[in-house]
Amino acid sequence: MAASTGESEYVTLESSDGFQFIVHREAAMLSGTVRNMLSSAGQFTESTEGVIHFRDIKAVILEKVCKYWYYKARHLNSVTEIPHFEIEPEYALETLMAADFLDT
Amino acid sequence: MSRRNRSGNSTTFVNNVRGPTSALTSFLNERGIRRANPAPRPATPPPAVEDESSQGDLEEEEETSTAASSSTPPSRSTRTARLTRGRTLPTPTPTSRTTTTRSESESSSDDDDDDEEEEERLIPIAVTVRSTRSVRTRAAIASTSSSKATASSSKAAASSSKAVASSSKAAGPSKKRRKKDDSDDSEDEEFHDITGYVSRSKFSHKGRMPQGSNRIEFCSRCRARFTIKAGTSPAVDEDDGGLLCPTCAGEESAPNVTPKPKPAKRARRKQQKADIESQVPTLQDLCIQKIASCIEDVEAFGDISEISMDKICKIISRNRSLNTDTVHLFLDTRHTDLSLYDCTDITADGLQNIAKFCPNLRSLKLKFCGRINDTVMNYYAEHLTQLSSLSLIGPILITEAIYIKLFKTVGERLERFELKHSARFSLNALKALCEHCPNLTHLRLGDLNLMNDDWIEPITGLTKLVSLRLRNPERERMTTESLVKLIQTVGSGLVELELKGFVSVEDPVLLEAIRPSCVRLQRLNILGCEEFTTEAVETLFKDWSTNGGLTYLNLENCVMLGDAALEAITAHSGATLEDLNIKGLDELTKESLLTLARCENLGSLDASWCRAMDDEVLEKLVEAAPKLAKVIVWGDHRLTECCPSRKGMKVVGREGDYIDLRFM
Repeated sequence: MAASTGESEYVTLESSDGFQFIVHREAAMLSGTVRNMLSSAGQFTESTEGVIHFRDIKAVILEKVCKYWYYKARHLNSVTEIPHFEIEPEYALETLMAADFLDT
Repeated sequence: MSRRNRSGNSTTFVNNVRGPTSALTSFLNERGIRRANPAPRPATPPPAVEDESSQGDLEEEEETSTAASSSTPPSRSTRTARLTRGRTLPTPTPTSRTTTTRSESESSSDDDDDDEEEEERLIPIAVTVRSTRSVRTRAAIASTSSSKATASSSKAAASSSKAVASSSKAAGPSKKRRKKDDSDDSEDEEFHDITGYVSRSKFSHKGRMPQGSNRIEFCSRCRARFTIKAGTSPAVDEDDGGLLCPTCAGEESAPNVTPKPKPAKRARRKQQKADIESQVPTLQDLCIQKIASCIEDVEAFGDISEISMDKICKIISRNRSLNTDTVHLFLDTRHTDLSLYDCTDITADGLQNIAKFCPNLRSLKLKFCGRINDTVMNYYAEHLTQLSSLSLIGPILITEAIYIKLFKTVGERLERFELKHSARFSLNALKALCEHCPNLTHLRLGDLNLMNDDWIEPITGLTKLVSLRLRNPERERMTTESLVKLIQTVGSGLVELELKGFVSVEDPVLLEAIRPSCVRLQRLNILGCEEFTTEAVETLFKDWSTNGGLTYLNLENCVMLGDAALEAITAHSGATLEDLNIKGLDELTKESLLTLARCENLGSLDASWCRAMDDEVLEKLVEAAPKLAKVIVWGDHRLTECCPSRKGMKVVGREGDYIDLRFM
């Protein structure tokens, strides 16, 4: 998709506490919410600039989510056994809420 | 294997094979279990491997084929002629079958037609035993094999394989004990010939055999099951002529490698497991699992969605971690719906807290709530002032008086009521329910020990019913007449009707009650209503123009239903059906199963133990139904590993798969 529309290969995600995560567009697209933001028909800032601000997600959580996207992208069509994706118990609830919001 | 223990003797058998029999062989013979129909014979040239067979084997092989051709008993000659004629038709003989390993399990007939088959296709085949088949089929095999043996002997002579030899060796072993069986068998044959009727135990799959579909065989080396795709030839073991699975065939090419059965099998399993697990779980599910695993340390959930909370509740219920302490996590004054899936460990006080902490509940569902008692129920009745839906599974302590009080208090508010597994819910309680709660739209009563025919009459008064589920009444205590009257009265409003386990009710329920009354019906469940006949179901669905079509239909274990029923169903509701359960309808043949392809909107299908189900049926269905997400096929041994599927579609219970408990 990135190639066809001439968009950049990466998108920037910014957490509520100001950390920026630059991730592959393809990986971020694994989230239904991010996909809608980036590929909506209207000219939203998110889709034109490729930068998304998450005001409710802290950096630790967003990092976890980004890791998960890459984990998923890597193992999506894998034929070998998938390693377990570790989530720290203390972040599990917050990650759940973020994942719920991001439709991941 | 035991094929080597060849010893001469004198008894002649169905297939002219002599030799001692193993215990298994005699068992199989006694039960009339024989090998499947011979596979269609592709005119492929012999694989190169076969030329390597030794001279000694060749001799043996020739010996057998001569024997087979010369010594066919005269009594079977007519059939031989008929079958030979039949074979000239272009229709290929069905192929798929279940096989056993090349062990002592083979019966003499197996060996014989294996010989035959191998000569023709020049591919050695592991001896096969089908689980069910008719004597007739067996006879067919025997006779065709003998006729073929002569016909093809010239071709076979040069290239007959070791496998042939080995099977001829085995042809020797199976005689001593079978003299008596033999006569029985021939009687059976005559009987079948005359009547053409097939009883269950000797059910013929001839009619529902798949054509040109894949076959399942067992590797002669590692014993693993593997599938031979239609029209392809599997690799052949050079030593004993058995078939090789792709894994072992791969090893074959590496010289001097001793086969190690176990690792090969494990590798295959691993591969399969990986195939299934390549679906990456969502982050939400991962988090929920994590939370559930350390539920004891969670202090509060905070602001998570009700869906997530319900998921967590389900998981920790399954882990049996839901107890008086953890239940607090799910209680909140804002909640209007609450479902607790395992209340076993929640004390009466804990259950009472539900009403204290969630006073605004509209819907409450408690599963396995054995500890709930009269005090708690009374408290619910008084404090849950919004309650309109109540579901109790297993409230064994609540007494009749409290039920009556509850219904009086809740009165017209109650719209949904479900009660299962209670021995104390009585006719008086039911009368109170029907009297005080006229607005009931959903009523579900099941596994109540006292439920009998008298219960039907009060329910007749609930005219607003949209969904009625009655399950497992007292055996033989429910009459067809009262049920007909009930459905005629309330049927016009019903969208969902479940009559599960009404083993004694008969056809009039379908014909006089459901057909004329249930015009809005979308979901019908008649699981286990064994008395319903094919004709009745056919008549119900034939030209049932007053009903727009069902979306859900469960016919599980309505064992009498046959082809005509399913065809009528797919003709009537094919376009609307989303969920169909035809589990255990063993009478269905492939012909009617193919009409499933009319169900374009099918999302879920349970076709377990419909033994005629095969790759072709499923393939047609997968093509026709784009929404199909889950197919359950336990016991459908004709489905092979290569049965059609697509991404996101679950095929549960395929014989070739290992058991994955996540699907249970």
